[in-house]
Amino acid sequence: MSQRLPSRTASIVALFVAATAIVLILPGFVSEFRAQQLAYVGIYLIALTGLNILTGYTGQISLGHGAFMAVGAYTTAILISDQGLSIGGHTFANDLKDVWTIPLAALVAGIAGFLFGVPALRLSGLYLALATFAIAVSAPAVFKKFETFTGGGTGINLFGIKGLTGSISGVHVFGHKLAFYDWLYYLSWTIALVLLAVAWFLLRGRIGRAFRAVRDSESAAASSGVSLATYKTLAFAISAAYAGVAGALYAIANTYVNPDTFPITLSIFLLVGVVVGGLGTLSGLIVGAVLVQFLPLWSQEVSKSPGAPAVVYGVILIAIMLALPGGVAGLLRRVRPLARRLYTRPR
Amino acid sequence: MSGKLALTCAALCAALLAAIPGAFARGSAEPGITPTSILLGGTAPLSGSASAFSSVARGADAYFKYVNAKGGVNGRTIEYKYLDDAYNPAQTVQATRQLVESDKVFAIFNSVGTEHNQAIRDYLNQLQVPQLFPATGSTSFGRDYAKYPWTTAGFQPSYQAEGWIYGKYLARTKAGAKVAVIFQNDDYGKDLLAGLKRGLQRSAVKIVAAEPYEVTASDVQSQIAKLKASGADTLMIFATPRFAIQSLVYVNKLGWKPLVFNNIVSSASSIMTLASEGGKSRSVEGALSGVYLKDATDPKWANDPGIKLYRQILKTYAPGANWKDVYHGYGMAVAYTMVEVLKAAGKNPTRASVMAQTAKLNIASNPFLLPGILVRTTATERFAIEQAQLERWEKGKWVAFGGLWGYRA
Repeated sequence: MSQRLPSRTASIVALFVAATAIVLILPGFVSEFRAQQLAYVGIYLIALTGLNILTGYTGQISLGHGAFMAVGAYTTAILISDQGLSIGGHTFANDLKDVWTIPLAALVAGIAGFLFGVPALRLSGLYLALATFAIAVSAPAVFKKFETFTGGGTGINLFGIKGLTGSISGVHVFGHKLAFYDWLYYLSWTIALVLLAVAWFLLRGRIGRAFRAVRDSESAAASSGVSLATYKTLAFAISAAYAGVAGALYAIANTYVNPDTFPITLSIFLLVGVVVGGLGTLSGLIVGAVLVQFLPLWSQEVSKSPGAPAVVYGVILIAIMLALPGGVAGLLRRVRPLARRLYTRPR
Repeated sequence: MSGKLALTCAALCAALLAAIPGAFARGSAEPGITPTSILLGGTAPLSGSASAFSSVARGADAYFKYVNAKGGVNGRTIEYKYLDDAYNPAQTVQATRQLVESDKVFAIFNSVGTEHNQAIRDYLNQLQVPQLFPATGSTSFGRDYAKYPWTTAGFQPSYQAEGWIYGKYLARTKAGAKVAVIFQNDDYGKDLLAGLKRGLQRSAVKIVAAEPYEVTASDVQSQIAKLKASGADTLMIFATPRFAIQSLVYVNKLGWKPLVFNNIVSSASSIMTLASEGGKSRSVEGALSGVYLKDATDPKWANDPGIKLYRQILKTYAPGANWKDVYHGYGMAVAYTMVEVLKAAGKNPTRASVMAQTAKLNIASNPFLLPGILVRTTATERFAIEQAQLERWEKGKWVAFGGLWGYRA
């Protein structure tokens, strides 16, 4: 009796459950330091998911997502540090824990994304790319300008302040004591998996179909009653909110925010991660996130002579794009028919 | 869940993990030190817009290799592991964590950048890991030693000391001068400006205009134009190399001929040569700066034993390195001091004993510093170098003049 082909949804759910299981048990097998690096992979995964919604699914290119990460990071930093705002003399510094600021960071970044999305409606393709590039380039200068809030060029040091969970000592969670990096790992991966699931639900419903319609053909979408303005700005807002969450976690992980920690290269690396992962699909993004975190380190291992790491990075990227034009997701798509043959092999 | 599906998942994840280089921990009572070796770690911008500063790490590395070839320090070889941070403080944080927690270094040494060292300062102090000789002149690194007992000052005259020296020189030699300042809008630029103001206190010299610029600015033309319009006859350039070159080029283009002071960070001969546009610029001639290192390109030091040693070390241990790059000299000077500190810490150095030594430095013999410069610290005075000589750019090279200026806070 031949096996029934598992429905696509069921297999995706199964994959997700498997991934969750692996994420859960992994820290037991790797060193604390490796857990820290994997925590950053989770953070980049969140940013890449958001960027993919905008670029892969809605077709709006963004070279400026590093700036939205910065907005989220600074929101968290300002709310939990003495740099904070005071209303009637009462500062927030003693009331807020860093993790509670994450939804706020998402909100503020989402609003920033929406505010950018509105004027960006008129732009497309290359011009949109340039406009988002301008945001990324100007963001550090803007943050330096509002010194009272952002600490200017020096930035805000979060290490050791009350609102920051952990740092060196362990963290108590549900009665267990976790090392700081393990806690960071679980925090970022829990959020990453949850947001990944949210993205998946969003994208398989009406909103996702509208996004794809906008990407595939704006005129066809408009004539089918899909409001371009609504969905483009919505895409910007959602993807910026995701970047804001990633930025907030970045601030918590680095224990430091500074305009120079969000340079233009970050925005470019995020786009690279999405393209390598596969535009328009969620499956390959994990590889993109691993790449964003580890490729600079691997390039350094190859050679440390001046300029060599950058060259190695570029060469590897070119090789990947030549071998896998559809990104990793494209590779998985090609592998799936083979996998299907495995599943349906008659007994 | 189907067994084969689970297997495929596991295989994919295993492949992913296999691609991540493995980590392994080194256990030790005092981390980073064995009977035969000491491991120092640091970060430097090996890539990115500030990669000119990477020679600071390479010069130090070459000097350590030279010392190791002669038997090391108290029987131990010095390993110096430096990682790229692309001049991005977030990467400095991650790389430093890797050095401390994965590589288990004995101390962080010679990391480059003001914000970069500030980003890791709290972390290192909490973990009680020495932060030795950060490559920055920011005054906070020598001033805040009570709050950060595991961090030493940088290994150069602090930016405030430098600004002060320029101010005092002007006060003494050019009464009635009107000074315009272009400065980078961060701690480094503001430190220099603060020092200048202190040096000009109670003098007949006035600062008539001061224009900041952002590190992310594309150019500084408008600032230079504004400064020229202020009617100043002296210009202070408190800018990093790229912007210093631009400033000098625009000053020349606008036909302005003030007395120019260029700060030490941007005073390398190669930078001045670029700014002088092949000798055609008339604004660069006569520019002043400070100097505390022996510049290997200065013919005065051609037969100096320190410079001969410098060139020989570079040739043997850093083949392909450009000996004219003065940042190599800086690296060697700071590495020399590091070796002296380790020698003084005795047969069994600990992190605490090494930190104690950095608070009682008294070295007059550093072959890479100008003769007469004393590397000295006390319990209350932590700035290791507080002297510099003034130099003037004449016909394509720096010519030092006058004696050593010593900063008095």
